[in-house]
Amino acid sequence: MIDIINIVRDNWILLLIGQYPNGPLGGLAITLLLSVAGLALAFPVSILLAIARVSPLRWIRLPATVVVYVVRGVPLIMFIFWVYFFVPLLIGSTVSGFTTMLITLVIYQAAYLAEVIRAGIEGLPRGQSEAARALGMSYMQTIVNIILPQALYNMLPAMVSQFVSTIKETSLGYVISVNELTFAANQVNSTLLTKPFPVFMLLALIYFLLCFSLSQFAHFLERRISKKRAGVGAGNKKPAEPDVNLVIAQAVE
Amino acid sequence: MNSKLDFSVLLDPVYRHWIFDGIVTMLQLTAFAWLLAIVLGTLLALIRMTQNRWAERAVSVYVEYHRNVPMLVQIFIWYFGVPTLLSPAVQHWINAQRSEFLFAFIAVGMCMAAYMSEDLRSGIRSIPKSQLEASRALGLSYLQAFRLIILPQAVRIALPTLISHTVLLFKNTSLAMAIGVAELTYATREIESQSFRTIEIYIVATSIYLAISLLIMAAGAGLQHRYRIKAR
Amino acid sequence: MTLTPFGNSISSPNMITFDSVNKWYGSYHALADVSAEVARGEVVVVCGPSGSGKSTLIRTVNRLEEIQKGKIVFDGEDIHVPKLNLNQFRARVGFVFQSFNLFPHLSVLDNIIVAPVNVLGAKRAQARIHARELLERVGLAAKADAFPGQLSGGQQQRVAIARALAMNPPAMLFDEPTSALDPEMVGEVLQVMKSLARDGMTMICVTHEMGFAREVADRVWFMDHGRLIETGTPEDFFLRPQSERAQKFLSDLRSH
Repeated sequence: MIDIINIVRDNWILLLIGQYPNGPLGGLAITLLLSVAGLALAFPVSILLAIARVSPLRWIRLPATVVVYVVRGVPLIMFIFWVYFFVPLLIGSTVSGFTTMLITLVIYQAAYLAEVIRAGIEGLPRGQSEAARALGMSYMQTIVNIILPQALYNMLPAMVSQFVSTIKETSLGYVISVNELTFAANQVNSTLLTKPFPVFMLLALIYFLLCFSLSQFAHFLERRISKKRAGVGAGNKKPAEPDVNLVIAQAVE
Repeated sequence: MNSKLDFSVLLDPVYRHWIFDGIVTMLQLTAFAWLLAIVLGTLLALIRMTQNRWAERAVSVYVEYHRNVPMLVQIFIWYFGVPTLLSPAVQHWINAQRSEFLFAFIAVGMCMAAYMSEDLRSGIRSIPKSQLEASRALGLSYLQAFRLIILPQAVRIALPTLISHTVLLFKNTSLAMAIGVAELTYATREIESQSFRTIEIYIVATSIYLAISLLIMAAGAGLQHRYRIKAR
Repeated sequence: MTLTPFGNSISSPNMITFDSVNKWYGSYHALADVSAEVARGEVVVVCGPSGSGKSTLIRTVNRLEEIQKGKIVFDGEDIHVPKLNLNQFRARVGFVFQSFNLFPHLSVLDNIIVAPVNVLGAKRAQARIHARELLERVGLAAKADAFPGQLSGGQQQRVAIARALAMNPPAMLFDEPTSALDPEMVGEVLQVMKSLARDGMTMICVTHEMGFAREVADRVWFMDHGRLIETGTPEDFFLRPQSERAQKFLSDLRSH
């Protein structure tokens, strides 16, 4: 559509970096900033949360489980409103939309990432932790040296998928006027007014290119990882038949 | 901020009405979207199984589009964009209706259909070929084998992800508020701005969302248990 | 007279003692009144039909399985006393698994030193030297920097044995060490186990390899339905099985 090309030509700066340098940063730049920072900050929290989720100690496991279920059961937009309302009260001063969105994403993604890591931990063969414990390694030593490295590696594709989800979730910043990509596109739409379809298709296209390439990267990682992990450990073979006749023959010698 | 929690304000008939209507709208959105998603999702999974290359590609494009574009953007495209593609007469008719609701559930339903078709597809793929071979060896036709042997197992395997996507669908209905659908989150914001009882209404809305999500998960777990394949 | 790390003198001739050991999984009686001893330097082979409790029995020794009744004594110590440091105790019981359970993200050398460094507090450099000696012993000196995924099943199991030996345990337990191997690789693992036996290691092996039993075992224990039915020298067991169930087991093996 020629419309889209014109729109891109006229508005690409606004969509990519907002009004910078004549104003605050915006558009795709903010989207990426929020996503990367959100996931990076959520990551250490999610590891702790995942370890808590699989802990044999009830008083650690139960609160962690509650946190995860609450985050999974409440829409992101409600979280955004909670943080928008609460954080200024806690801190005592107003908080920018960007910070609100960042905090929300960190909490939200920490819970979902924790579930991904937990799946990685529980997906490892039981023999791994058994072998480590049989050698005398403590629970924490086993987690840190044996379980987590493997779980995190195995779950790399899923973590990239979570990154894709985070990018999509930044679009909700629109609701609290965070100047990210969706907000920028709406600005363009309200100036043009008569071309909503091309504008929003363009918006979709940008997200699509970004997220699709990341998803493909996740697939690529998945294939690489399955290849590397094949061939380790025993398959399910039947126990060997004992050669009793041979033994008896030998005993009679 | 006012000092104490005071839920009684919410019992005001106007607010009560808004909350109730919000819940009803939310549930209606969920129901319609879910039906669309599961029916379309199954259809897409079946189309993909026909091994026709163009069918494969078409479904693939559909799935990738809906999985890589944010839900909110999809809603905007449907609500703001699609009507402009239709003839003026249809546009007039749409404007006279409760079009926000229509486009909201279509958007959510079509998006989640992509996810559910993938769930079913991976469920089907995880059934070993030997199951199909054994069925055919017994004389069952392809369709019979699929209906009696493959699909029942595939659905059981896909059930956990289908359930979590159902919860996701339910949560996504909250995005309809961005185009003015008066579901629960929209009502919550209205009540907040009118009554200034922010914490109270937030707690109520959050609890309702949480309760229904947990209900869906519990129902799903129950379903899984009921239809599980018993092993020794 | 030498002292064990627990500070007791080695007065008992027995390395491992099972005293009326009982274990239930829910209502299923997995181990029923098992009583037996393993002397120092003795090699015991445990055999029996599947489900007889053989693996369960040896897993109670390093407490991978817990018992509900009875007593187990290892190197003079009751292993269920509350003040026992479980991790330090397990470091003294070498255990080799049927599915090897090597750590795929660590090289062969790192697999062997991870426990000595983290549990025994050994210095990395010294642990590496010791590890290479062990690899030499199991015939895999060249594979020190390889990863488990690059090794055959037989090689992986030999590394697993070296990994267990790296802790200098006074006794080794083997849980069907060759059952998951292709037949042509069974020999190389049995060879390592035989050399360990000849060097005087106390061993309990759950295995189907009756040739191994004949050659190296001092005694054979026969288990069925969680009970220790019969014990005897390999010759006595294979030629003159006393119990009906042992006779049935041996004849079942013979007839096919």
